[in-house]
Amino acid sequence: MTPTPSKGKGRPAPKRTSNSTRIFYLALVVIAVAGIGALSYMSRRPADRELSPVDSTLPKVQSNGYVMGDSSAPIEVIEFGDFECPSCARFSTLTEPEVRSRLVEKGVIRFRFIDFPLSMHRNTWPASRAAACADEQGKFWQMHDALFQSQDQWNGETTGNPNPIFKQLAQQIGLNQKQFDDCVDSKKTQAKIQAHEQLAEQQHIQATPSFIIGGKIVEGPRPYDEFKAIVDSALKKSGSPLATPSTAGAGKTPATKAATKR
Amino acid sequence: MVIALIALIGVFVSLYLTLYKLGYIGTLVCGTGSCELVQLSKWGTFLGLPVAAWGVGYYGAVFVLAMVSTQERFESSRRLTGALALVTGWGVVFTIWLTYLELFVIHAICRWCVGSAVMTVLLFGLAMAEWREGARTRG
Repeated sequence: MTPTPSKGKGRPAPKRTSNSTRIFYLALVVIAVAGIGALSYMSRRPADRELSPVDSTLPKVQSNGYVMGDSSAPIEVIEFGDFECPSCARFSTLTEPEVRSRLVEKGVIRFRFIDFPLSMHRNTWPASRAAACADEQGKFWQMHDALFQSQDQWNGETTGNPNPIFKQLAQQIGLNQKQFDDCVDSKKTQAKIQAHEQLAEQQHIQATPSFIIGGKIVEGPRPYDEFKAIVDSALKKSGSPLATPSTAGAGKTPATKAATKR
Repeated sequence: MVIALIALIGVFVSLYLTLYKLGYIGTLVCGTGSCELVQLSKWGTFLGLPVAAWGVGYYGAVFVLAMVSTQERFESSRRLTGALALVTGWGVVFTIWLTYLELFVIHAICRWCVGSAVMTVLLFGLAMAEWREGARTRG
């Protein structure tokens, strides 16, 4: 009997069949091509978005969006938000009440909200239009809060026609119903929301909610303590006397009434 | 071989999440999940780097080890299978920590993270099987 040829000593090393090796390398190539393809496709979608530090050469956002607080506050915090975004709702319901009572009403910051409707959300544009319609009657922030609090009742997973719910909200917050209904039905605030969206894109905003605090983009809904720490650091940078924790921190003082401007 | 294939998928998944975190890729495609919430929480960064970037390093290391082990001269290397078992074991420990954070601290589940957790457990299972197989054929 002829012994089986072997390179090494003892029993011959088990050789993989060339067939299974070929399949293995083929599978590697398929995964690599699919992975690289998917990544390059997603990185181009949408093509005009890139996240980078705030470009100070871009025009400043001052006359757009909705503002709450004292115009002489040392810094302005800008939120780019989407009414249908669950993270924005989380910020609005959990953190924002404290931001308003401890920072905005004490004159530490001025807070600006700018719509950034994401394409992934079906009803976010109608919601932004409804908020703009409420603003026409001076009740943007009431509608803002009502929209976030009732997000699960009108989001794209619940309904394809959210306007009747917005009209109910308008009634609840005491808007002139006819004026609001006409505004919502006519979509006349569409151009304004488009302008807001453009502002977000100019600032290279990638996710909602995003905040610009002291020239820095901060992404995601932050708890109050974290939010305040970022504000404090921006105040320190700006050299504001409000930077000390004792003045910017906890404790209640008579609140100044938050103003709504455009 | 299967370990290398899974690790390569892991490299791409974690690379995707890293690019999202760094802002090179637009909105996360995450339907009903809460990927943004998890990614953008303070737990999305570990030792100054996005957690997903550590994932790229981890899956990359497993991929390299697994590719080396497919070479004929290293096929029966106990050191290599031991290293694979150790690295993937560390991956499982880290995954348990991240899953704990998602469930009990952030209160949100990201489906990409769940996918990565499944791959990590699979990799560990396969690496252990190879290591034990090596011990059996030696003994």
